[in-house]
Amino acid sequence: MGGLKRKSSSSAKTLAKSKKKKGPHLPNSILKVIANQKRPLNSDEEDDDVIGSDDEHGGDLYEYEEGVPEEESRKNNRYDRHDNYDYELPEDFEDENVESEDDDDGGNNDNDEAEGDDDDDDDDRHTRMLQSLTGMPSAAFEGESKSKPVLFTEAYPEGEFNPTRDVLEGKNVLTEEDFLAPLEGTPGYQKTSKQIARMRKDTKHVVHAPLPKPQRERLERKAVIGLVDEEFSKWVHLVKKNREAPTVYFNQDVDLGYSTVGAIASEFQPRTDFEKKMASVLNDSEVSEAHRDDGARLLELNEVSMEDHIKDRNHIAKMRSLLFRHELKSKRIKKIKSKTYHRLKNKDLKNSSLGALIDPEMAKEEAMRQEAKRVEERMTLKHKNTGKWAKRMISRGLNVKYDGTKAAIAEQLQMNATLSRKMNSMRDGSSSDESDDEEELNDGSDEDTPSRLIAKAKEKTLRALEDDEVPNAGLMSLPFMARAMKKKNEEANEEAKRALEEYEEWENSGGENSKKTVNVSGRRVFGATAKVEAPKESRKDSDNFYDDSDSDNDMAGIEDNNIEPVRDNASPARNTITDTEKFDDDVAGNPASKTTFDVAMFASGSWKKMTGSKNTESKKASKKTRAPTPQAQDKKGSRDEESEDSESEAEEMVDGVLTFASKETFEVPSQAELINRAFAGDDVLDEFEKDKEEVLNQEVPKPEKPVLVPGWGNWTDIQRKRGISKQMVQKHEAEKKEWEQGLKTRKDARLKHVIISEKVDKKAEKLHTTTLPFPYTSKEVFEHSMRMPIGPEFNPSTIVGELNRPEVVKKTGVIIKPVKFEEVNPNDEVDDEHPRNHQKQRPKKKTSRRQGKVKSK
Amino acid sequence: MRIKTISRSVDEFTRERSQDLQRVFHNFDPSLRPMEKAVEYQRALTAAKLEKIFARPFVGAMDGHRDGISCMAKNPNYLKGIFSASMDGDIRLWDIATRRTVCQFPGHQGAVRGLTVSTDGNVLVSCGTDCNVRLWSVPRPSLEDSDLSSEKSTEVVHCLFFLITLYSLVLLFILITSFFLSQPSAVYTCKNALLAVDHQFEGDLFATAGAQLDIWNHNRSQPVQSFTSGSHSVISVRFNPGEPDILATSSGDNHISIYDIRMSSAARKILMRTKTNSIAWNPMEPMNFTAANEDGNCYSFDGRKNEEAKCVHKDHVSAVMDIDFSPTGREFVTGSYDRSVRIFPYNGGHSREIYHTKRMQRVFCVKYSSDATYVISGSDDTNLRLWKAKASEQLGVILPREQKKHEYNEAVKNRYKHLPEIKRIVRHRHLPKPIYKAKAESRAMNDAKRRKDERRKAHSAPGTVVTESHRTRRIIKEVE
Repeated sequence: MGGLKRKSSSSAKTLAKSKKKKGPHLPNSILKVIANQKRPLNSDEEDDDVIGSDDEHGGDLYEYEEGVPEEESRKNNRYDRHDNYDYELPEDFEDENVESEDDDDGGNNDNDEAEGDDDDDDDDRHTRMLQSLTGMPSAAFEGESKSKPVLFTEAYPEGEFNPTRDVLEGKNVLTEEDFLAPLEGTPGYQKTSKQIARMRKDTKHVVHAPLPKPQRERLERKAVIGLVDEEFSKWVHLVKKNREAPTVYFNQDVDLGYSTVGAIASEFQPRTDFEKKMASVLNDSEVSEAHRDDGARLLELNEVSMEDHIKDRNHIAKMRSLLFRHELKSKRIKKIKSKTYHRLKNKDLKNSSLGALIDPEMAKEEAMRQEAKRVEERMTLKHKNTGKWAKRMISRGLNVKYDGTKAAIAEQLQMNATLSRKMNSMRDGSSSDESDDEEELNDGSDEDTPSRLIAKAKEKTLRALEDDEVPNAGLMSLPFMARAMKKKNEEANEEAKRALEEYEEWENSGGENSKKTVNVSGRRVFGATAKVEAPKESRKDSDNFYDDSDSDNDMAGIEDNNIEPVRDNASPARNTITDTEKFDDDVAGNPASKTTFDVAMFASGSWKKMTGSKNTESKKASKKTRAPTPQAQDKKGSRDEESEDSESEAEEMVDGVLTFASKETFEVPSQAELINRAFAGDDVLDEFEKDKEEVLNQEVPKPEKPVLVPGWGNWTDIQRKRGISKQMVQKHEAEKKEWEQGLKTRKDARLKHVIISEKVDKKAEKLHTTTLPFPYTSKEVFEHSMRMPIGPEFNPSTIVGELNRPEVVKKTGVIIKPVKFEEVNPNDEVDDEHPRNHQKQRPKKKTSRRQGKVKSK
Repeated sequence: MRIKTISRSVDEFTRERSQDLQRVFHNFDPSLRPMEKAVEYQRALTAAKLEKIFARPFVGAMDGHRDGISCMAKNPNYLKGIFSASMDGDIRLWDIATRRTVCQFPGHQGAVRGLTVSTDGNVLVSCGTDCNVRLWSVPRPSLEDSDLSSEKSTEVVHCLFFLITLYSLVLLFILITSFFLSQPSAVYTCKNALLAVDHQFEGDLFATAGAQLDIWNHNRSQPVQSFTSGSHSVISVRFNPGEPDILATSSGDNHISIYDIRMSSAARKILMRTKTNSIAWNPMEPMNFTAANEDGNCYSFDGRKNEEAKCVHKDHVSAVMDIDFSPTGREFVTGSYDRSVRIFPYNGGHSREIYHTKRMQRVFCVKYSSDATYVISGSDDTNLRLWKAKASEQLGVILPREQKKHEYNEAVKNRYKHLPEIKRIVRHRHLPKPIYKAKAESRAMNDAKRRKDERRKAHSAPGTVVTESHRTRRIIKEVE
């Protein structure tokens, strides 16, 4: 390039310099071409400069040079750096047309001076210059100049950061051929071209341009992620195994020291003199050897020295003399005749309780004394709440209030009971009477011909008549009781007499009637073929009969009499006769009778047989009902007792009623009818409804109606006129709604004959969870996990440890190291075979329960 | 004919010593014990109550620093030693058993922000706001310790407790004489203040965090490797104990990054809504780590899947400042700006335990002891506090029968923990008033928010309003 020293051309110069420094080594001419072409269009002067420089080559043309404004010269950095945008082309400047024109220009009128274009002039001159410099024909440069664009549109000087558009578009890039062309024919050209050709084929070693930084980083990160993930993934099996193990053990192989007595003993070192002496004897090699051998040498070793022998002998002599002296002393004592002395001596001996061991007689005496004590205890009846304390407790009612006191008193009574029982057992005959009676009764029931039965009844009645004596002690001796008893006895006597008459009649009537005698039993099943006899005898009679027969227990008789009125109410219904169909209608139509029917069935299990197909649906209901008629049951019970007294084989039962057969009035009532009659008095349905209402009220209480309480909210007339405040009414209505809703949502809301309690049991509530706990997915699994106890009382000691083992077993004071990698087979079953204590190898047993535990996790 | 007889040999039933237990035979027929469930429930209840009665977690405080504790480091090779550093540049080595300062390391001009010990326990590395990294050689355990642990390489804390009673005078004398000042073995200077340091597990590299992440070698004054990312500084750094070449950092621009120091760039980056103050790797599960976040929650991540947290651990009412995993990997301890220390199960959403005292201020650092029995917290009130990891644990030597009893109690309690009464007793904790109030407030706010969301959902077209799960809510994205 020309040696321009002007500072205005500095930019172009630096550009060229930089080219020289950094770019490939190009021939000067080409550099020049490039420099000319890629001249910046930054400012006019620079253009001018270049022109000027060119001019310099052609002719020595001098032009006025406008100074660069100080801002642009950037001298001393005094001004902010900014670009002059006045003459700058827009960034998106497109000069397609111009370029094509230029191309045309380049193609057609290369040397056209008429165009008057500086560039053309330049080209022309430039080729000439090149020709002169290189000595090559101008054609070589001609094509080059043709192909290149003529107009420079770049806003910045071209450089490595600002390539031209052509370069970016991929056009007009310098290739190896361009550089090789001038070398053609020179020695070594062939070689170079071959090398280049080879290089071109070899795509492997091509170094591509680096990617943009963000993109590069992303790719790098991706690679690293892959690597790190791989590192992490190799741990998965190990981690999974550790997590699934029911127990993780840490540092189990670290030995912390002794744990057994033997281990400690083995380390024992004798310290004191005595210990050393012992050790020297024990560890004597001779002795141990002798032990190891047959032991014969032990005798030899056992040899005693003379000194020892003398010592031993002296010792024995001393002991003997002591013994002798003691003997003498005891002899002397025995000789003493003073009774007081002996008494005192014996007392001492006794007190020391040593005597009993020595003297058998004394032991006997002791036993006697003990027995006496026991007898005394029984006689005083200390334990029958006669003590001061017990009396006080009972009088103040503390025994009801406090459980402890109650228990203590009960215990006393219990003790008393045991003692008294023992007393009873001593005299034998007391209870035998009763048992005899029972036996008799049993006999009667077993094989009773009617005649025998009647005879027996007669006998009993007579006996009852005879023994009228009033008890003269206790409750019965009170005057009013005595009077009542007397009255009752008179009645009973009358009854008895009547009964006797009847018996006589029966006996007279003999065999024909005997078959018609009645069997009274509460629990017989009504057979379909059974003959049913209408009741004839009044109910009262039978009761009295019962009273008389049970002469042993007068009180029972009284009680039975009390029940009578109820039964009397029932008797008219019993006398009415209805046939089976009618009853059926009743059952269908009348719910009352239906329930009674059900209840009856409920009361005695054996009656279920006759719950025909009609009543299946009611049966269901009846099962759920609480037994609403305890009274009825009572009655039945009493009747059962009564029935045991007299039975005859082929007789039918009419519930609790003693009946007599008489052919003319006999009519067969249906079983349902009978039941109906039997329970005509009990209004079960009403009772049940009442019960249900009560339960409902308790569980879903009815809200109280708001009322005007005098003195509250009605002081003034206005208030009174207003009545109950709106708020209260609203509240009440809301409550009422809620109540109704509560009733509706009950399970038994639609079931008329059923009460289903929805009362929450607070005590049971605390044993239930409201929701299913987290790791469990189903109720069954959770319940199963809670099913078996884990305590040592409920499980053998071999598995208690495993059942109770914590999740982490570690040793305090031992450093736990981080996990070390080891290969784990993922298909291996997780098992807990790690020994708990490495010193004690326990049998490696797996219980099925523990496996279940693992699974549930 | 075969006759079954009960045969019991005398030898089997003869006791060797009078203290031996008599052999007892049980019939384990469940029909004989119909009330076993009720009995065990009652035992569980009693165990729960006993646990409450014996819950005395605070063992003692270690005072000596003159400014708030900024960081701590435990000696991986020596159970009793713990290093702590304060905001005034003071570094101390404590003996946990006696709760005394063993040694001081003076030198730092400003606050010490990072402290770590090499795995062999010989080199202590500290860094601080004075742009210096100092390496110190850790004094060997002194006479009384060598007596105990020279034969065996294990250190037994409770053994020492016992020994104190015997040799207390000797110990005192030795402690007084062994208290000395140490000189740094090397000082390396950086351009920027350093905020954290962590040592590689079983290697000789350590990483410092500041304006950039630097990897250093013990013997070189210049970092071996540097990672830069973004313009924000790196707050915390933690090496993975299982995978020694992998480390995780958190930075001021709410990023959590995982690096492999063999590679030149970060492996994964998670962008969260709030800053992460500290990170702890699970020592038993090398792919998992937990991040202590500024929003008061901890987030457990799987290093391979970062778009959502594995578990969100909620309970703190203020920023969580530090976190450390138990060596068992089943629990971790957190210290929070709300003046409390909490212990979380590694897979549980809520804390198992909260520790606080009236005097404890903002907790800046926590450590779990290497035997997973103790927890140490350092707070703004210049004290280190030693806590039991299990509040009601019985310390000292426990006889086998006693141990069995404890285990049974624990098992029974664990079995019935879902029942309301036991749950109530076990969960009950007394909270300081500020925490209690803050919790109530946040609960009210969360409830209101939830209600609002529900309503919004109910009144918009189905599918248009989507509630984001807690696990992804605070995570903006995983940087590709």
